Amino acid sequence: MKLRSSSYFLLVCFILFASSCSQSANPVFKRYRTVFKIGDQQEWASKNLNGQQWKTHLTLVPDGQVFWSRTPIDILKAPEALQPYGLRLEAYGEYEVFWDGVLIGKNGNPGQEADLPPEGELWITFSIPTHLTNEGEHVMALRLSNYYYPDHIGNYGLRIDDYHDLLTDRLIQNSYMHVFAGAFLIASIYFLFLFLGNKKEYLTLIFSISCLFFFCLTMTHFVRTTIPIHYSFHVVRLEVITSLMFGISFLIPLYFSMQFPFPKRKIFLGIYTAVLLFIFSIEHHLFDYTILNMAVSLLVFSIGIVAYGVYKRAKGALLVLLTLLLCIFIRYTVSLNVSLFTGFSLILLNMLYLLSLRIKEQRLAYENSLVQSTRLRLELLKKNIQPHFLMNTLTSLIDWIEESPKKGVLFIEALAKEFDLLNQIENKTLIPITQEIALCRTHLEIMEYRKEVNYFWEEEGIDINEKIPPGILHTLLENGITHSLPLKDNSITFKLIFEVNNQFKSYTFLTFAGAVRSEPRNKADGTGFKYIKARLTESYQTKWDFTSEPTSHGWKNTIKLYS
Amino acid sequence: MNILIVEDELRIAKRIERMTRDIFGNALQSLKHINSLHEALQFIDNNTLDLVLLDLNLNGENGFHLLTKAVSESFHTIVISAYKDQAITAFEHGVLDFVPKPFNQTRLVQAFNRANAKEKVENSKIKFLAVKKKGRMQLVPIEDVIYIKGAGAYTELFLTNGRKELHDKSLEKLEQLLSYSFERIHKSYLAKMSEVNQIIVESGSKYMAELKNGTRIPIGRTKYKDLKVKWL
Repeated sequence: MKLRSSSYFLLVCFILFASSCSQSANPVFKRYRTVFKIGDQQEWASKNLNGQQWKTHLTLVPDGQVFWSRTPIDILKAPEALQPYGLRLEAYGEYEVFWDGVLIGKNGNPGQEADLPPEGELWITFSIPTHLTNEGEHVMALRLSNYYYPDHIGNYGLRIDDYHDLLTDRLIQNSYMHVFAGAFLIASIYFLFLFLGNKKEYLTLIFSISCLFFFCLTMTHFVRTTIPIHYSFHVVRLEVITSLMFGISFLIPLYFSMQFPFPKRKIFLGIYTAVLLFIFSIEHHLFDYTILNMAVSLLVFSIGIVAYGVYKRAKGALLVLLTLLLCIFIRYTVSLNVSLFTGFSLILLNMLYLLSLRIKEQRLAYENSLVQSTRLRLELLKKNIQPHFLMNTLTSLIDWIEESPKKGVLFIEALAKEFDLLNQIENKTLIPITQEIALCRTHLEIMEYRKEVNYFWEEEGIDINEKIPPGILHTLLENGITHSLPLKDNSITFKLIFEVNNQFKSYTFLTFAGAVRSEPRNKADGTGFKYIKARLTESYQTKWDFTSEPTSHGWKNTIKLYS
Repeated sequence: MNILIVEDELRIAKRIERMTRDIFGNALQSLKHINSLHEALQFIDNNTLDLVLLDLNLNGENGFHLLTKAVSESFHTIVISAYKDQAITAFEHGVLDFVPKPFNQTRLVQAFNRANAKEKVENSKIKFLAVKKKGRMQLVPIEDVIYIKGAGAYTELFLTNGRKELHDKSLEKLEQLLSYSFERIHKSYLAKMSEVNQIIVESGSKYMAELKNGTRIPIGRTKYKDLKVKWL
């Protein structure tokens, strides 16, 4: 618990730190409202110009026409000597940048977009000559054209800071985020391999895909620093981000619903999918809005599922619920992007934690099954050395040898045969039915010498290709011999019937005997039945049924094996 | 001798029967074999017996109930069982002998000799005497018994709490079972020697044993010498 919470703490710190790198504490500039004008006149670049006829926004500038924008900017603090300021722009279009009338940079070919291939980047940094960044008023003028998104005019991002810092800050942030994303990529690959090793474990697959999506989301989000993106491709990036977000938003509640199952899960998930699709389709071009809505619905539905898990006292549910609530808290303390990445990493860590709990449980179950198998094996071996069988057999044997040595020899041979059969099946979990029947017949032979009762064995419909856990029928036979008295003709008959239909195979084991004791069966039965049930569970898990009941002719046991 | 064999393995039952006939010969008055618990209980209630040979595992049923019943009766019980680990329990309840399977005639003769009182039983393990009380079996711990008084075919057990219980076994049979800690100090009395405080000689050379709780019980003239040699 301690380790887990401390790792969370580190992660939150790391993300907050990484995000804080990009935001310096005191801005060195103040930006005023940008004004626009369609047309192309070189003097519009100059610092002093009457901007009264300029518009505060333009809705449409068709056909890649040239238009100008002017943004008054106050420099609050002049740069240190030899450390020029830089200007970073995020603007739709290709443009030239004028600072106080001086051309300081060019991003593409404004006005020629229709004729020339796309050029320039959406995010670009220019350096401003030092002598133009004195404290006081300045004007940044752009000569732009926007051929690809003529209805996306204005509203661009702008930042002025130390030129060197502007270039390196993002790289530093990126390097952190790449390490971060890499961790999720490795997790994704690792759990994919785990899934390939055990294809029934869909949880590991979902987790693997979620990690992969999160990796892609991180990479797509931060790709802008490493790869130059032309503004015309930007929507593609946003589409990819939204789609990844859609995938993650679907997978996380799905994962929780599998970890904490609840009634009518399919209907619930259907409704959730519909909600997501609805969010995805309305106002699709408002990507931030869509992403935020998906994140909210993901949280709401996940909290619903996990709260049910907590109610049902599912392992780990409380921790997950607290984390989800923490995500809400984070959402209201930091920006959307930071809260998104922090929140997702926390949620993914929780999913990993749940998965590890599950893996631990599976390991314990496996170890238990090993112990159980060994126990069953010992129990089978013990059948013929437990004193009741062994000592009574030896006593009878001595008697036979003293009275009729020839019969004594036959008796020994029967005994040898049973020991031999037991040796053959001792380490198996399933044996051919014929072997089990052979074991029963030998046992009857031995018991005939001991009890001097005529035992008969009958079969019906036996399929010699069938397999059965070892010692099951033998145990039923032992019970039958021990608990029944012979009929008037000094005989007891056992009958094994095999039936098969679409749903199950069944073995019916009948005992035809005299007065079977009406007293409730005691512990000795208990262990015999326990052995049978444990063996059936070992080989058929829950897909079996075992009943045992008295009948008018003796006793009836039924074993059903469902397919 | 009237003997009952309770055994559900026919071959073994026959073996016991054969050997018993061999050993007792003409002394044997009746020999009965029963293979189920229920029948055995009924037979014990309705017949006079001298010895019961008992298997503790009958048709998968625990013979403990039958054992408790048997040891509370007037006859001696010998257990013949495959489970050696039951020997201690059997002795604690006061069986005369425990014969583990497989057995031979010599071992059986040894057991029967005890029954014939030719041999004393040094059973230090006996812990209880089973008494019948209102049709139910009750186990009286030996440590609670101070002395036992013969009363015809029965005996009276005198306990530390001042109470008295009736037991179906004769004083002779109890003497056999309890010889480890009890001494026959009189033809009608068995006393636990650890409870004897002192021996008082009264006028007319009457000997009395005074117990720790103040009770005085007589010592037989003939027994006195033996006691003196053994205990003083």
